[in-house]
Amino acid sequence: MTWENARIDKAKEIIEMYPQKRSALGPLLYLAQDKDGYISDDSIVEISRLIGITEVQVQSVASFYSMYKQEPTGKYLLSVCKSISCEISNSSNVIQKVKEFTNLSNNETDDEGLFTYESVECIGACGGAPAIQVNYETVEGLTPEKAVDLCKWLKEEQPKVVVADELQLKFGGTKSFDWAIEDNTGSSSPVPGFQTYEMQEEI
Amino acid sequence: MTEKITFTVDGKTLEGKQGQLLIEACEDSGIHIPRFCWHKRLDPVGMCRMCLVEIETPRGKALVPSCTTQVTDELIVETESNTVKKAQEGVLEFLLINHPLDCPICDKAGECPLQDQTMAYGPGESRFIEEKRHFEKPIPISDIVLLDRERCILCARCTRFSDEISGDPLIEFIQRGNKTQVNTFPDEPFKSYFSGNTVQICPVGALTATSYRFKARPWDLKKVSSTCNCCSLGCSVELNVSQNKMLRILGEDNEFTNQGWLSDKGRYNFEYLHSDNRLTNIKLKDNNSFVDANISEATEKLKNKIEELHNPDIKFLIGANSTNEEYFVINKFANLMNRNEFLSKDKSNVYFADDNMFSGYFGENHQNASFEDLDSSDVIVVWSEDIKDNIPVLFLRIKKAVKNGVKLVVLGHTNSSLESLADLYLGQDVISNNFELKTNLGNIKEFQNIIENKKVTIIVGKSTPLQQKKYLDNLVDHIQKYSQAKFLNCFTKANTFGALQHIDQIKGLNEFCNEYEESNKNIVFTIGANPVNASFFGSKIENILKKADFVVSLDIFINATTELADLILPTTSFGEKEGTVTNMEMRVLKQNKILPGPGSALSEWEYLTMISKSLDKEIKYENVDEINKALCDEYENNEELPSFENLNKPSNLFGMKNRKNIDINIKDLEKNDLSILMVKRLYGDSSTQINSPSISMLGSERFIELNSKTLEKFGISSKTANLIQDQHSIFVNIKINNLLPDNIVLAPINRRGFKNLDPTKDFDIREATNMKELSVN
Amino acid sequence: MKETILLTKHMRENPEDSHLLKSYEKNGGYKGVKKVLKSGTPESVLEEIKSSNIRGRGGAGFPTGVKWGFLAEDQERYLVINADESEPGTFKDRILLERDPHQLIEGMIITCFAANISKAFIYIRGEYAKPARRVQSAVEQAYEKGYLGKNIFGSSMDLDIVVHLGAGAYICGEETALLNSLEGRRGEPRLKPPFFPAVKGLYNKPTLVNNVETISSVPWIMNNSGKDYASLGVEGSTGTRIFSLSGHINNPGNYEIEMGSSFGEFVESLGKGVRNEKSIKAYIPGGASAPWLRGDQLDVKMTIDDVANEGSMLGSGAVVMMDEDTNLLFAAKSLVSFFAHESCGQCTPCREGTTWLENILDRIASGRGRASDIDLLLDVCDNISPGLTWPPKMTTICPLGPSATASIVSLMKDFRSEVEVLLPKKVVVS
Ligand SMILES: Cc1cc2nc3c(=O)[nH]c(=O)nc-3n(C[C@H](O)[C@H](O)[C@H](O)COP(=O)(O)O)c2cc1C
Ligand code: SF4
Ligand code: FES
Repeated sequence: MTWENARIDKAKEIIEMYPQKRSALGPLLYLAQDKDGYISDDSIVEISRLIGITEVQVQSVASFYSMYKQEPTGKYLLSVCKSISCEISNSSNVIQKVKEFTNLSNNETDDEGLFTYESVECIGACGGAPAIQVNYETVEGLTPEKAVDLCKWLKEEQPKVVVADELQLKFGGTKSFDWAIEDNTGSSSPVPGFQTYEMQEEI
Repeated sequence: MTEKITFTVDGKTLEGKQGQLLIEACEDSGIHIPRFCWHKRLDPVGMCRMCLVEIETPRGKALVPSCTTQVTDELIVETESNTVKKAQEGVLEFLLINHPLDCPICDKAGECPLQDQTMAYGPGESRFIEEKRHFEKPIPISDIVLLDRERCILCARCTRFSDEISGDPLIEFIQRGNKTQVNTFPDEPFKSYFSGNTVQICPVGALTATSYRFKARPWDLKKVSSTCNCCSLGCSVELNVSQNKMLRILGEDNEFTNQGWLSDKGRYNFEYLHSDNRLTNIKLKDNNSFVDANISEATEKLKNKIEELHNPDIKFLIGANSTNEEYFVINKFANLMNRNEFLSKDKSNVYFADDNMFSGYFGENHQNASFEDLDSSDVIVVWSEDIKDNIPVLFLRIKKAVKNGVKLVVLGHTNSSLESLADLYLGQDVISNNFELKTNLGNIKEFQNIIENKKVTIIVGKSTPLQQKKYLDNLVDHIQKYSQAKFLNCFTKANTFGALQHIDQIKGLNEFCNEYEESNKNIVFTIGANPVNASFFGSKIENILKKADFVVSLDIFINATTELADLILPTTSFGEKEGTVTNMEMRVLKQNKILPGPGSALSEWEYLTMISKSLDKEIKYENVDEINKALCDEYENNEELPSFENLNKPSNLFGMKNRKNIDINIKDLEKNDLSILMVKRLYGDSSTQINSPSISMLGSERFIELNSKTLEKFGISSKTANLIQDQHSIFVNIKINNLLPDNIVLAPINRRGFKNLDPTKDFDIREATNMKELSVN
Repeated sequence: MKETILLTKHMRENPEDSHLLKSYEKNGGYKGVKKVLKSGTPESVLEEIKSSNIRGRGGAGFPTGVKWGFLAEDQERYLVINADESEPGTFKDRILLERDPHQLIEGMIITCFAANISKAFIYIRGEYAKPARRVQSAVEQAYEKGYLGKNIFGSSMDLDIVVHLGAGAYICGEETALLNSLEGRRGEPRLKPPFFPAVKGLYNKPTLVNNVETISSVPWIMNNSGKDYASLGVEGSTGTRIFSLSGHINNPGNYEIEMGSSFGEFVESLGKGVRNEKSIKAYIPGGASAPWLRGDQLDVKMTIDDVANEGSMLGSGAVVMMDEDTNLLFAAKSLVSFFAHESCGQCTPCREGTTWLENILDRIASGRGRASDIDLLLDVCDNISPGLTWPPKMTTICPLGPSATASIVSLMKDFRSEVEVLLPKKVVVS
């Protein structure tokens, strides 16, 4: 068994929510990625047992989706948007600066395991283009300079939880819409802080 | 009943069936629509888009894939319009842009639809100047299958087969979009009993078989249709031969039997034909070693022996690989040799080498089922040896029936592989370790609900030689009382049913051992039988053969049985002889010859006629045709005779079904408690398999299965252990199988090392000491 | 031009806490559903929805009432909310999820009541981490209050809602791919027929799949009436709709308006005009899949039918404005790579064709174009989408493949010279 008990309990709890076990595959893959920063072969074996499908079936699904990473990622996954609204709002400059600062090319992770860089398709922040996500927490209205400041800050502060509102306030600009009240929820690993959010504390 | 409808294709009015797929309806009328992903036996996926045609819709013409579109009455279809042509050429170009240009070294070249269509419609010159997609060239995904992802056109045939048909989805699409590739999981090779089917249905050279790689070009192959002899299902096959060497066996799509599929054993168990170990000369034992002899020396020797022994007792141990024609002659010959010839039938001297033989369910009160009945019945009930391991393609047919809604009831403890398909699995609560029914079936409500007043197909046979038949009777009687039942007697070996049909009366190995009288003078013939190996009675028979006055073996190898013979006559094997065989539905099918036998090997019937001649007993046949005619003469009903003439008609995939009386004279063994359940696995140490290099390793793993509760008692935590009984100790892998009852281990009798164990004696399982230490001690 | 505020009313009036149940209820939330559960019948709800003439907001614009009517009889039926919003340019569902999740939940309860459904799912794209958390805690609040679960609001109705996260695959917005994804499979669109999941959907059971905005509109319709809703907007495009405006605009954002005014008015009055007083060269009227319109077509009316008449579509309601300085080749390249990246890979033309198109555009952009490349681009497009018409003739299972050709065809039709200058002259050998 390679998963901690708390993770297995969480997995079982998730499986319970669905009429058919296999539906829990997606959420379970997030639990796997939260553990190792990617979908490891060990986790694939674990999940295949929990759900009752073959390993290659798990892998087939995992590798279809771009958010399930096949290689280890760093503590902070930097995803800069390159789709149309960002593209015509100079996202290429942001991309260039972030790459320079982190010294990474697409889908690479640094040696310290701090950053993984990727350029991604539309993240639904077109009104605030160009935009970036850090562990799926969105920052809108970036400038190339602010993007570098953001990276620097992450490197120095190394926050345990990445909070969109906090980053937006510090480094963001024009927003897609008024975000209204402040919100201190966030993500604690390179997965969207959703089901994994509370589990982190138990582990 | 499906309704007949008419539709129009390219101006011609055609007939089809409501709901039929357009591509199939066109095919039936001789119009071929190009395709890659569609396969008659798989659910359509509509992925390749090669089969696009235009149909009229209320909103004008639309391009639709003909493999996912059903024909409807008055549908108007164009398969050759400019739009269709352009779309198909477009698809072909798309498929080719990333396809390697390695036809010269590709096994598929010459029978590759991609190559053919490129020749027919393809663009002359590539407009694609970018770099092609690259993958590591062929990677082995199992011991017998190689995968070349560059050649793959992503038709999903292999993945669909594994998922839908064989139910072991071990090969899947990985990644998505333009990066999509087919692959297996790194630590989980394509370990399927049916993997070869994916090689056969792969439309390109992406999946290839190690046994055929670089061996031949399709245009060099000589081909003949035949019937596989690996189990009693009778799969239709095509034998491919080049320069007198069998190179490949393909499944033929026979609606009635295998529907195109084969097990890997049926497909790859042929290299032995050309093994150096094959017997090519007659061998006479001389001072414990064999010397070559010719046929007249051999018959002379035998004749002298018979005279010298004065009216000896002559017994026949026969195997399952003879043809009906051979059994017919064996029967005649055995009768001639029978001292009790004129006494009574139960003095039969023919013994069939299968541990799980019993008297079966035949005759007026038991209606024989066809495989088709599996699809049309409401319920299938199975109590027998493991179907998947012993009649693999029957497993596929059961799986298909279940997929289409037929209910399945499985009685334990041998058919674990059917459990996941079963609506009801009756395990140790209902069945004892000795395969006795513990309760009246009528008390099992779920069982009663499923079977009552239904059409039931029962697949029934002994799960172990020690099982008492009365429990099978209980099951059979119960179902016959409450529902309409048809029977598939589950004798699993090759042409068992042909033997039953053509031997006046058959007995079993237990009868052989019991009736053998040491005080008599004894001659034993073994014909294609190897009961010393992998049999419950192995050691008893070994002792008998060692002491018998004279043993004659007709066989293709020297093996545990034939090495005890005084005279060995090398015989022909599958593909080297012509004849008929009968499958478990009592369907007679044809086996054909495409190869000469090795050296001076002859058919069994040729030896027996020669011997009879030397003994001045007249069995006179010049060729198999004559035997087949004589055999047909014994049928009462003249209409559906299993004659070569009837069976050679290429359109006759149905074969011939005709009733013959069957007489099996086999009694139960004495009741005894079972501690080791010996079962046959698909792969083992049969002489044919160990002499076929591509698959010889597949039967090498030594393992036991037991439930976790039983394992706990032995305090073993590792995945390996030693299974110990008396002085025998076998190093085995341990597999947990919680469907097994407590206090029993399951072990493969056809794997090396297990045959010396006594299934009724206690055993121990001990932590495996380091292998090295073992040899030091 | 002014906004008409129905769906975004609560979030605008209560910016501090619009996502909380307390606040939603204080401002009249869950009144509609209580009324329906007390005195309505499934038939009466369906009638209201039908009479509102609301059409789906997910892009295809299918009449919602008609779709609900297709739902086949079965013990088990499901509702699935399509919150996969991934079409470049679109961010309208995000605001509804993040700022007013209870409105969606109320809409779902009413829908499930009308359709006799007791299990519903909200499929949210994985990248929407924060919106997903907001929805999840809204669902939890609703459970606590007894608005979800067994005997909700004290009635005989049961309803469970599961929030399910996608994982980065645009194609999962296509409803049948979404269902596969929700079943734990690859997000590959299913074969048609069956054309509607309402006949055979999740786990092969009858399933309603509706967009977030569509279902978020349901409470307003029930609180007022189908007729009131139908009186807004224009015939064929009734009610309000949230448009996501982005690109070279002074005031990008989400705007809730009645359909019917022109794109030009929209940009001028709500978008506060083009940035730096530039002019518009081209714009995308309905998300990345839609063919472009030219800057001189800004007077086209924002209705489903008017945009269709111009050979494009209103699609997901994402309007992207591109000013005179925009490099349209790069714009097209960005769009084509999007589709190449998001192709599920089932259909040969889409899988192979989109990447090929991307390669050719890359080559041209980096100065390695060939004289024949424009013809090649158009012919490859033609092989994916025969005739290059809009709506496309399909050679594929779903419209993603054909959508990838839209920007290239637009570029070549109206802005061909921008590409031609980058290519070597054709050498004619005689
Ligand atoms: C490629 C593709 C992507 C789509 N993406 C979305 C999406 O992100 N959100 C959405 O609601 N509908 C999307 N749709 C439309 C859905 O298939 C479906 O029509 C819609 O969810 C139905 O809801 P509605 O009737 O409420 O609009 C997409 C369709 C296609 C073909
Ligand atoms: S058109 Fe593209 S995205 Fe749609 S099903 Fe086919 S391959 Fe998948
Ligand atoms: S054969 Fe019809 S799409 Fe492949």
